[in-house]
Amino acid sequence: MPAWGDGEGPAFGYSTAILGPGNASIETTFMWRSGVTMFGPQLSYGLMENLQISVSASFHLDHGDLPTGRFTAMMPGDPQVEVILGWRFFHKSPAIGTRNEATLYGGVSALTQDVPRADGPPLRRQPGYYVAAAAGHVSRRYDVWVGAGYQGYGTWSRGVDDRQSNSVLTSLVVGWRPPFFDHDYPKPDVRFFWETTGGVIGQAQRGVAPPGSTGGHDEGTAPPPPPPNSSGIVVLPNSGGTGVFSGPTFLCTYRSVAFQGGVLFALWNQPNGVQPSEKVRAVAGVTYYFLRGRR
Amino acid sequence: MSFSWINMLRGIALAGLLLAVEPVRAEYLRIQLRVYGLDCGLCARGVSANIQRMAGVKSVDVNLKQGLLEIVLLPGNTFKMSDLRKRIRENGFRSMEATVTAVGEYKGSKFEVLGTGESYNAGSPDSKAPAPVELTFDVR
Repeated sequence: MPAWGDGEGPAFGYSTAILGPGNASIETTFMWRSGVTMFGPQLSYGLMENLQISVSASFHLDHGDLPTGRFTAMMPGDPQVEVILGWRFFHKSPAIGTRNEATLYGGVSALTQDVPRADGPPLRRQPGYYVAAAAGHVSRRYDVWVGAGYQGYGTWSRGVDDRQSNSVLTSLVVGWRPPFFDHDYPKPDVRFFWETTGGVIGQAQRGVAPPGSTGGHDEGTAPPPPPPNSSGIVVLPNSGGTGVFSGPTFLCTYRSVAFQGGVLFALWNQPNGVQPSEKVRAVAGVTYYFLRGRR
Repeated sequence: MSFSWINMLRGIALAGLLLAVEPVRAEYLRIQLRVYGLDCGLCARGVSANIQRMAGVKSVDVNLKQGLLEIVLLPGNTFKMSDLRKRIRENGFRSMEATVTAVGEYKGSKFEVLGTGESYNAGSPDSKAPAPVELTFDVR
């Protein structure tokens, strides 16, 4: 199960592993990004060979004014409930301890918390969708994964045009199991990764409320909004941005438990408007696996 | 023909003896299976736990570096090699060659693990050997 303490692969980036039928995992992860703290529990279950379902419910413990968008493969960066199906459509095992795999992901989500904004009241909550693909090569010594995904938002009802930022996330992960840790099962299995993610987060938008209506917005405390475009929508200048982050992460599994964590540093970060720049992202998580399969 | 209590008792004793002796079952006893794709401790644990749950399995050992599963089976099992390979495939791995110890009979030139419907090219039948026989052979 990929990402956010998945027990198989990277902490931030995309990977390909899918739970076998009847296997399950439960994971809890804390994520911190320059003052924003999130907590994300996730349940995953292997439905059948090569098909897995994951349900996550990430939420803010503390929020800041950073651009909000997807920045890990299997968890949304906004507080929302998300259901993702993972389909490993290609896998070959050409040698001992070696696999080549490719997996598609598709999911739907719904925001569960208002995301505070410095430039006005929170945007109204919306449903979202997510599509992603990952491919990789794993072996006893080295792993490599590449992947990309798109997170988009829709609306619950016609005429409500608030949107969180859509986002694209790409990743390149290189893993290494040092000879010192190359023990056989059931000794602890330790791997190190170098993860690089590149993200483009679009600008959020606010639907303009009709005259005389607050539309659920706290207009009294909001600064004057920018003028709407020809469609009557205000594109929020202080939202979105681009960034490339890179850094080390690790994974340690022992019996049915996986510990995972790591830190990514900004190689390049360009938030739009007056949003603060992000320097560091960190993740720490624990996953427990129920690897009983089916009878 | 005269009735004899002694002959009747002998007959009952013989019948009881025949019923009491359990027929020799045909079954897999031990399987050493090469598996491709096992790269991590969790992979090993997942495969091991899944196979351990199959009926008739006594123990499963995994050697990650050699990609080997060593499966010991309980007496009287109805384990099938095809089910094992399917279980491994479902978990995302690829089963390869195996060294199998099983009890079975030769049917023609094939060694059949009776009751499983699975037969193998496993050497030549020994006409003097009693049937069923225990045999260790390689499966490609």
